[in-house]
Amino acid sequence: MKRPFATWFAGTWAVFGKDLRIELRDRHAAGALLLFVPASILLIFFAAGQEPLSPRIQAGLLWIVILFAASIGLGRSFASETDRDTALFLRLHTRASMVYAGKFLFNFFLVLAVDVVAVLAMVALLRMQVAHAGLLSAAILLGSLGLAGAATLLAALIAQAASRGPLLPVLLFPLLAPLLMSAVEATRHALEGGFGWGAGAESLTTLAAFAGVVITAAALLFDFIWND
Amino acid sequence: MPASGKTYRRIRNLVLAWLTLVALGGFLLDIPRINILEHTARNLYFHVPMWFTMMAAFFVSAWRSGQYLSTRDALRDTQALEAARVGAAFGVLGLATGIVWARFTWYVGQDIWWNFDPKQTMAAVQLLIYGAYFTLRSSVEEPEKRARVAAAYNLFAAACVPFLLYVLPRQMESLHPGAEGNPAFSDITHPTMRVVFYAAVLGFIGLFWVFYRQRVRLALLKKRIDDASGP
Repeated sequence: MKRPFATWFAGTWAVFGKDLRIELRDRHAAGALLLFVPASILLIFFAAGQEPLSPRIQAGLLWIVILFAASIGLGRSFASETDRDTALFLRLHTRASMVYAGKFLFNFFLVLAVDVVAVLAMVALLRMQVAHAGLLSAAILLGSLGLAGAATLLAALIAQAASRGPLLPVLLFPLLAPLLMSAVEATRHALEGGFGWGAGAESLTTLAAFAGVVITAAALLFDFIWND
Repeated sequence: MPASGKTYRRIRNLVLAWLTLVALGGFLLDIPRINILEHTARNLYFHVPMWFTMMAAFFVSAWRSGQYLSTRDALRDTQALEAARVGAAFGVLGLATGIVWARFTWYVGQDIWWNFDPKQTMAAVQLLIYGAYFTLRSSVEEPEKRARVAAAYNLFAAACVPFLLYVLPRQMESLHPGAEGNPAFSDITHPTMRVVFYAAVLGFIGLFWVFYRQRVRLALLKKRIDDASGP
């Protein structure tokens, strides 16, 4: 092959495009997720009532909603291949790293869509005020990178299990505890404002490092799960 | 192939004698009396080595998982599983000794058992991760597939754990030594206590090795009986 990177990128893009097209056809994940997020935020609204929530609590609730939505929506990304018997076809036509990268990209976009809906719903329903939009976007982007990277690998893992049920949250949540803590910390600073980028710098660095470690480890280990 | 029965028995006897000495030294040697801590400072010999041992066990487990992925030898998978099991047991003991001790020293008069001290919380999360590892194992039926999936999850968890145990606790306030605003372990500890402590760390890691070898041998024997009595 003359241009290995271009070939690899084309393969990744093809996997991403395939998932996007299937999603646009049946709107299975997107529909469920986009309803799950406002529904859970409405439930928070009913539970908390008219009491104003502190930025710390708001940041925590936002990330809990995002994590739960991701653990519900991303579990299907490999299980659907096994159910439709298309896994073998994918395995024959593309290399493992392309499959991981393509699925990761798609999951990342799904998580970003969830993020946007969750933030809008929080602002509209829970009167969340954002003091530093840049810091909030950075925290959400970096947090979603790590979240999608880990969820993609674990989704491939549980596609092999006989009883999938609630397996993804069980596997995902303890691993993402560091991500949740740093993301909530950065988001809290973004909601409070006052100190600008400096306040969230430490958490953002941790989030970036976590995303890097998770995606690297997942890309390396994916080979072993995908090719049996 | 694992160490022979003779080597195993020799090391086991050595470890048991060593731990007896550690226990005697730990309870009988004189230590400086610090207000509130008093004799509970001796918990240092038992609580902290549990964590060292748990980390060693999980390192062994991750190492065996890596070996499994590269060799596909079922023995490696058994070793990874047993190391994780014994490591989790040491983790539970570490948590228990910490909770009981903190209740009567740090939180004396406050009557609380759990205060979300970063290291305590992270250790609990670490135990949850290994709980997830055992759950994952039980939900895959085929032995070969189960070994592969479990090994991948174990290594993936090993990549995330440093954040849990080393990065985040240092960014948060804690009552543990070495955390923000607290002197490091070596600055506040009496020389006698340090000697006993290091001996205890070695002894408990040795104890881990004994349990681990025992359980691996047991698993292999069970497998041999199953193979012999099966169709």
